[in-house]
Amino acid sequence: MNLAVFKRVLSAVLVLILSFAVSSCSGGKNELYVYNWGDYIDTEILTEFEAQTGIKVIYDTFDSNETMYTKLKPGSASYDIAVPSDYMFEKMKNEGMLEKINFDNIPNYKYIADRFKGMHFDTDNEYFVTYMWGTVGILYNTEMVTEPVDSWDILWDEKYAGQIFMYDSQRDALATSLKRLGFSLNTTDLNELTLAKMELIKQKPLVQAYLGDPVKDKMIGGEGAMAVVYSGDAMFSIGENESLAYAVPKEGTNIWMDGIVIPKGAKNKENAEKFINFLCDPAIAAKNTEYIGFSTPNSGALELIPEDMKNDPTYWPSEESLANCEMFFDLGSFIEEYDKAWTEVLAASN
Amino acid sequence: MRSKTPAYPYIVWMAIFIIIPVILVFYYAFTKTESGGMVFTLENFARAFEPIYLGVMWRSIRLAFFCTVICLVLGYPVAYIVAQRKTGTRDIILFLIIVPMWMNFLLRTYAWLTILEQNGIINSVLASAGLPKLNLLYNEGAVILGMVYNFLPFMILPIHTILKKTDLSLVEAAQDLGANGINVFLRVVFPLSVPGVISGITMVFMPAVTAFIISNLLGGKQVVLIGNLIEDQFLNVYNWHFGSALSVILMIIIVITIGIFSVAERDEGGAVL
Amino acid sequence: MAKRLIDLVNVTKKFNDVTVLHNISLYINKNEFLTLLGPSGCGKTTTLRIIAGFEYPTKGDLLFDGESILNLPPYKRRVNTVFQRYALFPHLNVADNIAFGLRIKKMRENVIKEKVEGMLKLVNLKGFEKRPVSSLSGGQQQRIAIARALVNEPEVLLLDEPLGALDLKLRKEMQIELKNMQQKLGITFVYVTHDQEEALTMSDTIAVMNNGVIGQIGAPEDIYNEPKNAFIADFIGESNIIEGIMREDYLAEFAGAKFKCVDAGFGQMSGVDVVIRPEDIKITNESEGQLKGTVLNTTFKGVHYEMLVQAAGFVWKIHSTKMSKPGENVGLFIGPDEIHIMKKDAKPEGEVLNEE
Repeated sequence: MNLAVFKRVLSAVLVLILSFAVSSCSGGKNELYVYNWGDYIDTEILTEFEAQTGIKVIYDTFDSNETMYTKLKPGSASYDIAVPSDYMFEKMKNEGMLEKINFDNIPNYKYIADRFKGMHFDTDNEYFVTYMWGTVGILYNTEMVTEPVDSWDILWDEKYAGQIFMYDSQRDALATSLKRLGFSLNTTDLNELTLAKMELIKQKPLVQAYLGDPVKDKMIGGEGAMAVVYSGDAMFSIGENESLAYAVPKEGTNIWMDGIVIPKGAKNKENAEKFINFLCDPAIAAKNTEYIGFSTPNSGALELIPEDMKNDPTYWPSEESLANCEMFFDLGSFIEEYDKAWTEVLAASN
Repeated sequence: MRSKTPAYPYIVWMAIFIIIPVILVFYYAFTKTESGGMVFTLENFARAFEPIYLGVMWRSIRLAFFCTVICLVLGYPVAYIVAQRKTGTRDIILFLIIVPMWMNFLLRTYAWLTILEQNGIINSVLASAGLPKLNLLYNEGAVILGMVYNFLPFMILPIHTILKKTDLSLVEAAQDLGANGINVFLRVVFPLSVPGVISGITMVFMPAVTAFIISNLLGGKQVVLIGNLIEDQFLNVYNWHFGSALSVILMIIIVITIGIFSVAERDEGGAVL
Repeated sequence: MAKRLIDLVNVTKKFNDVTVLHNISLYINKNEFLTLLGPSGCGKTTTLRIIAGFEYPTKGDLLFDGESILNLPPYKRRVNTVFQRYALFPHLNVADNIAFGLRIKKMRENVIKEKVEGMLKLVNLKGFEKRPVSSLSGGQQQRIAIARALVNEPEVLLLDEPLGALDLKLRKEMQIELKNMQQKLGITFVYVTHDQEEALTMSDTIAVMNNGVIGQIGAPEDIYNEPKNAFIADFIGESNIIEGIMREDYLAEFAGAKFKCVDAGFGQMSGVDVVIRPEDIKITNESEGQLKGTVLNTTFKGVHYEMLVQAAGFVWKIHSTKMSKPGENVGLFIGPDEIHIMKKDAKPEGEVLNEE
């Protein structure tokens, strides 16, 4: 606990120092301060944007939603663009950390497919422009798994005892079990949750380990047959090891989205909107999605990307597989039951 | 009056870094958040004593115990051999024992991943010898290995310090009275080194019973210790109340252990001093 | 005829390149109380440690009952040691300290109990069985150390300055006790000390050591009365040592005067050292003395006064029961029997060692 407090104090101090540095050189000039995930844009796009608009882009990166949140929370860091994930967006919106976007300045918004508009966390389409999206699924090694992978059931198959990696996070792990049982991954029914928990405990002896980020290295290194991963991590891993493949189970899964937002108090809001419009340009969006490997919400861009990429189910899951998918909702205080269930799964002896 | 003044910075330091955090831990342990406010409750402790969590505590104590025993069995002979060497040689050996501790703790432990993995160094050697691969990672053995590897110096150093100071004339007196090498060790050297052994045991058992990074990396959440539960409550599931209750229980376990050992040390130390 | 128990034969010991024992030969008879006496660094403790087995000589041999025991480890030798700082086991109580050697021999516990009690009685510490050794006084610890060694009924007891840490009164008492014990038990004692008085009080035989050699071996009286060289004369008791010349047999010249003496065989006109004990010089009237001088300093020493008298360019140390005041002019008289003549070349360099 004191560690957490310490970290918060430390980052607040760092933010203060940084905001001094930033604010001292950002007054009214033709600039744009962008705060994005590491390795989450084709940098040529920035160069193009600068060349086309004459706006100078100052680009910083973060490695987790929480880092970004901590840096923006004091309200003194003058970024004009940030890229939170869905659940973090909801939190930031509720805490009044965001500016409404003037969509009149973003004509290219029309290219964003309707299914990525008016999400449950931004029903009136005021703050959030979907940047990339993806799924959670099974990354598997085709040399070890020869049968078709199309169901969460395979993670409970004793054939693969000791070869399975589960995701070390309560929502994601429980979502796997809930979807397998045919329940909603946002269930607030304690019985459903308990059943899902018991299934995870039953599965525990088959699991090699519950891992976060290191699972990519493990799968690339051939340390296991399959793992529950985010599609973006799957794309990355497949790029490193060609015998890996990714599947979205037919029972459905979690869909996640990262969106572009304008933090409260942005000094270069118009430039920010110009930048969002630029990113929504089909050609630019296509170039970007090809570079990063994440799925684009831009229907114009989808027309432009190569056929084999478009047909790759890792990049673009079939409509059937998406039919049962859900996004995470904020569960309010019921999240405690999820936490408890997950703690019990971890504490269970195997 | 004059003598009190220099203690103030230390008192402030104690207050900020020891007393206040401990008070906060107790505060959170005995409360829960309800409709925006904190309410007194014993629920957190009731939950902590559910069989599933008792199992985790038992596992933590069991693994820490094994780790301590192994460290003692490995560390004592090392300490003994080092203490026998001439000063120059001794310093070099001690230096070599301490050097790995200068390396980043995570890095050292990560290194074991690449050794123990299914395609790691050991299994590669086994495979090339035509032997079946072993599951070396993400089990209790791996966690104990990691603990022993990291905490062994804490066993060696205090024992060595006390052995180094062993009065040579006592060894000669024992020889003179007819004791051969084994008898000298069992009847004189070892009994005299007991305070070092006790502080070694304490210094290994404490970090072992509270370990969470080693069990995270080498246990892959398959070997969850009480330290992991606490870490999870604070950093992942944000249940500070339950996490604090677990911390309080862990503190009590440690206080009891220290108590047992200091009683043992006093009994022994009465004769030694 | 006394039986030779321990023989040191031409023993040399070097530590690194420093020779601490030069070709020493020494034998110890059964039931003898032999003292190795000498200043610190003379090699006496090293000699003892060679006998105990804690040091291995660089050259030479060590015989026990006529057989070499050089290659016998300490725990197999039939000797026990009383260490300088006692070396009692701090983790054991009094009884367990004494029983240490017996337990190693795996004696029955009731026998051990009996023997421990007997020993405690011998050293006058009955009832101390359960006491931790740290609670004992220096003298009591010393007795326990002796009891711990004696209980094993060794043929030889080695004692390394055992009384060094005790105060004067206790030391005197223990000297007598030790001597009595030795006579009662009939055990051979090899005793190391730098205290000449202690050596003279207790020993049957004294071996005076200096710089790694044995200067003289003999009974205490012989060593005191007939020191072989100036160093021994100086070390054993206090002495006035001055250079002189043997004019002829029975006539010595020193301090600018001629003296009759009882020594002969040095040849004519040969340089010698003349040793005169302080109690052997008589103070007379100025006119009656062979030498004339002035009292510089007078100190009361209990049984006698110590006077420093300046005469013939030399400061004489004189012990007398009669006091002379500082500044007084006196005569000094030295009888022929009191003059000890020693060959000059025997005089070692260790001149500073006369004050103990």
